[in-house]
Amino acid sequence: MMKRLNILILLGGDLVLKKSLVVILALLIAATALAGCGQKPAEQGKEEQPQTEASKILRVGVMSNPPKLDPVFATDTSSSRVIYQIFETLVDYDNEGNVQPLLAESWDISEDALEYVFHLRKGVKFHSSVAGEPTANGGREVTADDWIWSFNYILNPDTNSPRAYFLDMIKGYEDYQEKKTEQIAGISKVDDYTIKIELDYPFAPFLSILAYNTFNVLPKEDVEKHGTDQFNFHPVGTGPFKFEEWIQDDKIVLSKNENYWAKDENGNQLPYLDGVEFGIVTDLAMQWTEFGLGNFDIIEEVDDPYYNEAKEMPNFIERAELGTYYYGFNLTMAPFKDNKPLRQAFNYAIDRQGLIDIVKNGRALPASGALPPGMMGYDENIEPKYTYDVEKAKALLKEAGYPNGIKVELTYNTSDAHKRIAEALQAQFKKAGIDVSLKNIDWGALLDAADRLEVPFFRMGWVADYPDPDNFLYVLLHSNNIGPNGNYTGFSNKDFDEITMKARIETDPAVREELYKKAESIAREEAPWLFIYHYTTHGLAQPYVKNMRVPFFGAYSLKYTNLDIEK
Amino acid sequence: MLNYVIRRLVGAIPVLIGVIAVVFILTTIVPGDPARIMMGQRGNPETIAKIRHEMGLDKPLSIQFLDFMKNALTLNLGKSYRNNMTVVEAITTRIPVTFKLAFFAIVIAILVGVPLGIISAVKQYSWIDYGAMFFAILGISAPVFWVALLSVVLFCVILGWIPGTGTGNGELIYYVLPSIVLGLRPAALIARLTRSSMLEIVRQDYIRTARAKGLSERVVIMRHALRNALIPVVTVIGIEVASLLSGVVITEQIFSLPGIGRLSVEALTNRDFPVIRGVVLFMAFIFVLANLIVDLSYPFFDPRIKYD
Repeated sequence: MMKRLNILILLGGDLVLKKSLVVILALLIAATALAGCGQKPAEQGKEEQPQTEASKILRVGVMSNPPKLDPVFATDTSSSRVIYQIFETLVDYDNEGNVQPLLAESWDISEDALEYVFHLRKGVKFHSSVAGEPTANGGREVTADDWIWSFNYILNPDTNSPRAYFLDMIKGYEDYQEKKTEQIAGISKVDDYTIKIELDYPFAPFLSILAYNTFNVLPKEDVEKHGTDQFNFHPVGTGPFKFEEWIQDDKIVLSKNENYWAKDENGNQLPYLDGVEFGIVTDLAMQWTEFGLGNFDIIEEVDDPYYNEAKEMPNFIERAELGTYYYGFNLTMAPFKDNKPLRQAFNYAIDRQGLIDIVKNGRALPASGALPPGMMGYDENIEPKYTYDVEKAKALLKEAGYPNGIKVELTYNTSDAHKRIAEALQAQFKKAGIDVSLKNIDWGALLDAADRLEVPFFRMGWVADYPDPDNFLYVLLHSNNIGPNGNYTGFSNKDFDEITMKARIETDPAVREELYKKAESIAREEAPWLFIYHYTTHGLAQPYVKNMRVPFFGAYSLKYTNLDIEK
Repeated sequence: MLNYVIRRLVGAIPVLIGVIAVVFILTTIVPGDPARIMMGQRGNPETIAKIRHEMGLDKPLSIQFLDFMKNALTLNLGKSYRNNMTVVEAITTRIPVTFKLAFFAIVIAILVGVPLGIISAVKQYSWIDYGAMFFAILGISAPVFWVALLSVVLFCVILGWIPGTGTGNGELIYYVLPSIVLGLRPAALIARLTRSSMLEIVRQDYIRTARAKGLSERVVIMRHALRNALIPVVTVIGIEVASLLSGVVITEQIFSLPGIGRLSVEALTNRDFPVIRGVVLFMAFIFVLANLIVDLSYPFFDPRIKYD
């Protein structure tokens, strides 16, 4: 007791200590002052607004700070997730992936499928405010002129939208890109509420591409006021929510668009929610913890360790996604060049279901081809079906000229998830005499190497931009697209090219389906990929979140228009 | 004194230029094209070329470097490739969070580390000494991410004392846990160093003289021993301030604090060269500044040190 007292005396009462206390006090005052630095001047004066019982703010946990809220430049899902709430396209998809009206109430397609006439919805208004300030457009109605301007702006070569080329089938696209014309010839106004789009050639997935979230209507006044750079931080659209605040790496706040055009089936104004707050939490373990604490209403990524627990929750939804996880064989270099048996041997050497059960927690579907289930042209009966067959793999290896096995290096982009999969497959390959060494590089480096067809065996994956087999088979395997356009294997097959090209311009769905089945069959037979699995997508919401769903296109594309909170 | 400060600041300029040069070279030789990454997995080659041109990546390296240096002199560090925000804005909007975090962490480290070190030294080989040094070893050895996750489970989930991640509406409570986690290692280091430094000092002749004068133990320790013992400690604190800036990378990531650490991780992943260069330059400047402040504080602890 005495000793403890001595220490206390030792530390107290002295002049030096008084000085120290002054220093500590000064530090604390400085800390408090510093704490104020983070607040914006407007916030400093403002009283903390208590959330009233009636206010319905949906708190969504997301993994990354989106780079772009300007849809013209966004290319990633983290940006799209927010963009879907602020902006709107002519058409979108229902929950099963069928194209449905959005800002176009209806449309007519000419018999030759070269002319699309869109009848625009009346009474659609741009947001009247952004980040608490009135918008330059003043909340006016959207007319045909806005659509003409928006398409011309997005496709303008000076705008340089990374997704403009998705619409390269529109008449006059090339001339406009080469600046030979002032406006794109194929898009014209019929009247204030009707626009016409003409194509150079029939293109079956055209409507699906118009649903892609680059091709929204934009208010000219606001784009011009803020300029291309700053519109990203002042996004103005027609969607159910208006942009309010974006604290980088922390949160994005949206508020209800009071003038939104849509009503529910009972005539109630949509959206039901008063606002949305996206909380950016990069660590998935922390995100899960926050959800458990009730600090998030929705999370869109449940990591493997928590999957079994999440699965039992009432508002957990999981479904197949239009995507395929694969390893590409480089067909322009040894050992896979001109060696189909070798590529097939690899495909027979892996136990997909085992991998999915053990590594993926059962959250995927085994892939035997490029097209995912749910996509036109997918048919599980198409041969060959790559089952797990070590003996067959060994026989094919022998046929391929590698009776004593083969050594090959797999390049994958650095991530724990990819590593777990690569290691599991490495062990499986060994049983068939295939010795795979693993090399991880980061995503940018892998893209570079794949673009230049420099790596023999590499990881890739693909989730559809639009729900059409064209976006898989033509984009990823047609010889026109070898390199950065999507065909990283260098696969070039005359029959395949012809069929996929024909299917692009065919308008009869039944004929198209048959063509894609044929193309898929060639892809399976030629095996330019090690087909691994098809993705699933999921979302988890608190039980009090009503009308929760996971769109077929992926949880990130969920629009919160008719979501509600009923506590 | 003023001359010395000016001399040091001028001397820092070549250091900063050197840092920029090294970072510039490193960022340009790593594989991975920022224009390509921006395009997503599928990229139209013409558009990629246009974006490269817009970013100035198609210019020769030497020209890119000179352009960058020229602009850096006017604090124009360019714009983020990722979201068009100016680098200066990207950094300044995140400085408050990182500074608060680092500041609280170092205050905690000093308030915990120095007294623990003193007590351990004064009560050498007592249970307090053993306990404190056990804590110190633990603090130095435990990885930051592990401590962070465990503390979240304990204080946020089980006890519910502290809200979870993020910064809420700027409330200080959100900084408590990250600051303690971040301050743990420097606290342990400071405790160990203060202890050993004190042990050395209390065996000096002048301490014996002080005791012989009949001064109380309290005065001997606090006035005569501690001041001298703190010189190496202050040096370490200076170094720790700089190393805290790297510690914030992990802490900010786990606690989702929107600071410089998160910014740098994001910039590195996306090959956002202007932001990477800006952040490194900023950190180098803080390092130089922290060392200068440490050097300037020596005369306070040891009047024999003078800067003329």
